[in-house]
Amino acid sequence: MSASVSLDLTTLARLADAEPTVAEDTALESATTLDRFLASVERRAFRIAQMAVRDRDDALDIVQDAMLKLARSYGQRPSAEWRPLFYRILYNGIRDWQRRRAVRSRIFGFLPGSWPDEEDPPADPFERVASDWPEPSRQLMGEEAMQRLEAALTELPARQQQAFALRCLEGMDVAEAAAAMGCAEGSVKTHYFRALQALRAKLGEVW
Amino acid sequence: MSTNERWTEQERRARELFDASVEGLDAETRSRLNRARQAAVAEVEHARRSPWRAWAPAAVAASLALLAVVLWRGPGGQGTLPSAGLVEGAPPAEVVEMLATGEDFDVASEDPDFYTWLADRGLPDTNGTG
Repeated sequence: MSASVSLDLTTLARLADAEPTVAEDTALESATTLDRFLASVERRAFRIAQMAVRDRDDALDIVQDAMLKLARSYGQRPSAEWRPLFYRILYNGIRDWQRRRAVRSRIFGFLPGSWPDEEDPPADPFERVASDWPEPSRQLMGEEAMQRLEAALTELPARQQQAFALRCLEGMDVAEAAAAMGCAEGSVKTHYFRALQALRAKLGEVW
Repeated sequence: MSTNERWTEQERRARELFDASVEGLDAETRSRLNRARQAAVAEVEHARRSPWRAWAPAAVAASLALLAVVLWRGPGGQGTLPSAGLVEGAPPAEVVEMLATGEDFDVASEDPDFYTWLADRGLPDTNGTG
């Protein structure tokens, strides 16, 4: 009797090891789905972060942090909710980075002759002045045109940048962009319209 | 070309430029993004293997709350002040409570014989003058 029970328990244990439970299947599927989702947005998110902070390493850190936060806090949520959530986390990270940068600038501003990052002094602001750009008649292609777009985007208010990036570059509809930005759909339309107006004023001649 | 059509063309152009810049990312950046993604997915895997970790913060908070309640109620009962022995030179807790409640201190009228006896017996010298 005892041997029979022991054998049965051993068999059950072996079966349990061999066949994952429904919960494990679900979790594994969730991890795979999350992997696919992050793979689909990671490069675009990096470029958006890089345009906002204009620093490659910081942009990578922001994207990595957004990925981890999404996985930790929302990994179990339906995958349909991930995209606006991810971009909301991403823009929160960008905003935090910009605040820290502003504080550092204020602190280090009191120290003459020192930069916040010794190896990475701030770019010359005159590099972005329109007079340094190529002649409007010149046909802009590829990276050069993108650099001009980035420079023009950088000069926009943060909410207009977000609206333009999410609506135009990411192709989100108004509702999804509103969820990502944490505001009303009407605000998204307003910010996007103003962003387009500002970009037309800056780039209209060469775009 | 109308203004709307022009903007549609500009939006399309911006999207193309952006897509091209995404496709043109260097190998190192792609590799770092890949590692970041794997770390994020590993978080989900780790949470699956250790589901108790999700409850750990709540468990710690509950334990701290329970400890606080036990310390507050303590051996002296609910909400009692610490005993006088905890602070050297401090008056006994009963005296502090009596002062705090503003009780009538005209005790001599309640039991005059006792206080007459106490006065005859003599009070201890609290000033240390003998």
